Amino acid sequence: MLRTGRFTAYVYLTPAVLLLAFTFGYPLIAIFDFSLRRIRGASGPFIGLENYRQVLGDSVFHQAVLHNAQLLLAAPILLAIGLLLAILLYERPRWWPLYRTVLFVPYILAVPLVGIVLSNMLQRNGIVNELLRAVGLGGLALDWIGSAGLALWSVMGVIIWREMGFGMMLFLARLQSLNEEVIEAARIDGANWWQRTIFVTIPQLRGVIEFYVVISVITMLAWVFSYVYVMTRGGPGNATLVIEMYLYNFGFRNSLPGIASAVAVLLFLLTLGLTIPLFRLRAQAAEEDRA
Amino acid sequence: MTQLPSRRDFLKLAGGSFSLVALAACAPAAPAQPAGQQTTTPSASEAPPASTGVELKMSWWGEQEAPGLENWLKESIALFEKQTGHTVTPTLQDTSVVISEFQTSSAANSAPDIQYFWNGIYHMESVWLGYVEPLNGLIPDDVLKASNATVLSVFGGKQYRLGWYAVPMMWVYNKEMFDKAGLNADQPPRTWDDLMSACDKLKASGVIPVVGGLKDGPWGEWYIGHSLAQNLDSPGDAIDLFVGTRDWRDPQHWEPWAKLETLWKAGYMNDDMNSIDLYPGIDLFGAGKGAITQIVGPLVPKMQSLLGAEKVGAMVMPAFGAGKMSGKPIADTQGLGISSQSQHKQVAAQFLLFLQQPERVNALWEQVKQLPANTSWDGSVISDPLLRQIWQEWMQGDSVPYISNLMPTLFWTDAMFVNSQKIIAGEYTGEQAGQNAYDVTQKWVAQNPDMADKYKQWASEMKL
Repeated sequence: MLRTGRFTAYVYLTPAVLLLAFTFGYPLIAIFDFSLRRIRGASGPFIGLENYRQVLGDSVFHQAVLHNAQLLLAAPILLAIGLLLAILLYERPRWWPLYRTVLFVPYILAVPLVGIVLSNMLQRNGIVNELLRAVGLGGLALDWIGSAGLALWSVMGVIIWREMGFGMMLFLARLQSLNEEVIEAARIDGANWWQRTIFVTIPQLRGVIEFYVVISVITMLAWVFSYVYVMTRGGPGNATLVIEMYLYNFGFRNSLPGIASAVAVLLFLLTLGLTIPLFRLRAQAAEEDRA
Repeated sequence: MTQLPSRRDFLKLAGGSFSLVALAACAPAAPAQPAGQQTTTPSASEAPPASTGVELKMSWWGEQEAPGLENWLKESIALFEKQTGHTVTPTLQDTSVVISEFQTSSAANSAPDIQYFWNGIYHMESVWLGYVEPLNGLIPDDVLKASNATVLSVFGGKQYRLGWYAVPMMWVYNKEMFDKAGLNADQPPRTWDDLMSACDKLKASGVIPVVGGLKDGPWGEWYIGHSLAQNLDSPGDAIDLFVGTRDWRDPQHWEPWAKLETLWKAGYMNDDMNSIDLYPGIDLFGAGKGAITQIVGPLVPKMQSLLGAEKVGAMVMPAFGAGKMSGKPIADTQGLGISSQSQHKQVAAQFLLFLQQPERVNALWEQVKQLPANTSWDGSVISDPLLRQIWQEWMQGDSVPYISNLMPTLFWTDAMFVNSQKIIAGEYTGEQAGQNAYDVTQKWVAQNPDMADKYKQWASEMKL
């Protein structure tokens, strides 16, 4: 048998570790460093926590955080819709592959395309309101993206419409890998459809549900920029401004990468703070299952 | 059969390659341009004379607002290359990256030789970062002046842009709608009271008096450019507002938003202002659905082709203010400059000069139908009466600069953009808009103490 030295494995691992450190570690360190400087061009003077003080004291940033928190409401809605659609399709109704494809199509469309088309449809005099007026429901023809009270909910609706296909597909894939004998046994024992769904099927999806919740939370916190940018630019007023848009404005428009970096660090910590407990819960549950 | 390398050989190869790359990356590289300092690269006079064969890189914008410009530029480059033996490689930039791409490439020491610049603060921040070369000494003074880059391109007595094509800012109106409403189409409103009266009659005749779209922001920027100037005496006064030396809470300075509120509450504007972008808003005018809108010169021919040339008239925003800039046409120009990092500044200047030759300037009009920025161009070749009027009154007459080009981008995103939309949404009054503008100004100064000092110096130089 070939004998290897104590550090041989580490030597082989070094290139990959260095590559990963350069790809992920360096940008992270650079962002932390930038967040403590007034960056002009490639660098700038060290100003301590001034950028953080500016950001945390800015009422516009508070609004952005609040809007992201509102968008978090979409996570349980996405979960419920995704689960419902997956379970219905799992029953294999007639033409179910067609339904599956149709429901998944929004997810494969590019976000800018979805944003442009739907924001045009949702204009005050867009096709949605024209249809409502045509069928005598003119009272419901609201300024969906031009009104401060409605715009964020309209954006959330578009996000849910596009993203629900992913959850559905994820749950359906897991359902199709389940041991059908368990469900069949429940049926023989007299459990009806609701009982089988709630007490047999959904518990078996626990792992994928937890994963999907984490993904949805991250999406609502850190992946909604494209929707907002294309649909409303953060307006009207600041009604749809989100943390990413705030970050973008400082990084690319206001030429203050230091403040943008401070926001990025805060967003990173916020996302980490929310997802770590979720992963811990998941690990704990897995441990319990094994026990 | 080919012998594949063993896993061990592969790992050795990969490790060795990575080490080489890492060593190369650690080797001392040319330092990026230090912030806030002038370049250390040789000036044009120090650069070795280039006879032929220099390769210039050029990043530009403009096809988006002046269709046909790309063909004109390609032809100009071909002629220049044939005449000099140098080459120019143009890259058309997207609107959203014109500023950021130049600043990041400059920070990385890889800026293009020639860069397209919008006027005012949109290039002056790059000047203050030391990324733009002054053109004095590279381009003859008479050409610098004739190019009409405006005072917004000058800092510390140096000019940083050469004007390219003209962007007169105006209001346009539909003469046929004016006639039908019983208005004199040859005498558009000159005062605010005239405008209110005209809007009343236009509304009564069944048309929307003023149309536009605020969702993406520029329509609101244009509105402030026209209206804020009315209570100011010089562009320097506008800078005083943007850096907090003057107070936005003074009623004369929030009056523009109060006027917007008046127009909106009287029902003189399209009800979907907040849900449509700039161009769909302007297109309402082109589609004959509105009587008045704001526009820039390059878009006038399009409106003429949509409505018929005889139906389109141009006017200055009706006056309500008492400042020296009130009631005057606004003239802006788009322009080109040279990177301070260019190794071929003289050749770059040679190319910019080539674009200012009478034949090229005239070709800009003949081929693209864009009014050139160059004031020495003979405008008598313009046969269209409206375009001739615009050339004479806006570009050659007693005009003022476009002061929205002086607003810091934070003011754009957090005050101008927010105020105009909140006025239309009924969330702000004019006075509240003034308070928000004041708050944003204080925030900008706190975040940019270094830039605020530069701004103040700029303001002191810009008194008309």
